[in-house]
Amino acid sequence: MRSRVLVRSWDYRQRRHARGVWFRLRRILADAALAYAIPREDALGLMAEGLRAEPVGQELHPPRLILFASRGRIAKIAGARPLHVRLEAELLAAECLALIPFEAGPPVRRGPTPTRR
Amino acid sequence: MTFRDRLLATIRAARPVLEQPGVLVVGSEVPNLLEPDAAATLIVSQDLDIGVPVDCHAAVKLRLGDIRDLVPSADEPSVWVPASRDLLEVNFVGIDPTQDPSEAYVLEDERLPLLVFGALSLIEPGAAIDIEGTRVRLPRPAGLLLEKLVTDRTGDKGERDLLVALGLLWTSGADDLQELEDSFARLRPELRHAVCSNLTILSLLAPRAGMPDPLARRAEVAALLRRLEARDRESA
Repeated sequence: MRSRVLVRSWDYRQRRHARGVWFRLRRILADAALAYAIPREDALGLMAEGLRAEPVGQELHPPRLILFASRGRIAKIAGARPLHVRLEAELLAAECLALIPFEAGPPVRRGPTPTRR
Repeated sequence: MTFRDRLLATIRAARPVLEQPGVLVVGSEVPNLLEPDAAATLIVSQDLDIGVPVDCHAAVKLRLGDIRDLVPSADEPSVWVPASRDLLEVNFVGIDPTQDPSEAYVLEDERLPLLVFGALSLIEPGAAIDIEGTRVRLPRPAGLLLEKLVTDRTGDKGERDLLVALGLLWTSGADDLQELEDSFARLRPELRHAVCSNLTILSLLAPRAGMPDPLARRAEVAALLRRLEARDRESA
């Protein structure tokens, strides 16, 4: 039991470091009602329109482009492929992910991608 | 014989202890008992967890001899095994309201030793319900939900336990969620983080037969997560 406490405390202290990336990834996926794998050129197009890539995508290796976008905007991407919102191989393998937030969730984020450190 | 029949027969067999003041049913059977007419449709392990507050331990021991058709396991005396397949196993676990939620200790006793789980300190007595003539005290939903979410959840059992938490969330009202939020705010930062982490895991679980469907409740889980994070920021 003592070892569990130690591991939990260690996990907590890691929450802003590299090992905490899985929590951060799960955290943004929890805000996503739907997820789509999209072609890279479309993801770059969304960023050119001002949408912000989620920092957690850049913390994975290889890096991923992960953005929240509106349902209407994703509908215009012909190559968008729906995925289960789960930590499954298909989602993890997608180089570019577009997430549609829950209606009551955070707004689609705009602006440059902030850096974590 | 259905699982519900066995659950109810176990409750009847353990009635002398279950009706002892302070004693609670805890664990995964709570959502089963909260279903209309204790329908017990969730697929969970085949046991009934009975929470014994440490200050009730002596009184509970006096009633053990009145339990029917269950006997202490030779391997682990806090587990009582049924004499027939018509009953479920019974696990006695200790509750110590003064205990740190991260820790555990053993209340040593020859007749009824108890593993006192710290997370059970988050539980408070709630409503008593009548199960076919036996008065069973259940925990308040907020504390039981928090206990499920603060505990390390890994592997298959961990995922099932989180789906049990989802079942509790499903039946919780606005007052229960406010109570959950207030209790959450009193936790240490690493435990608050554990709760949020478990909610993210719950949000991404695949559906399982016989369990609450996580896909149907993802928006509510996300809303609860945001609400708890806001309290976390206030508490930091």
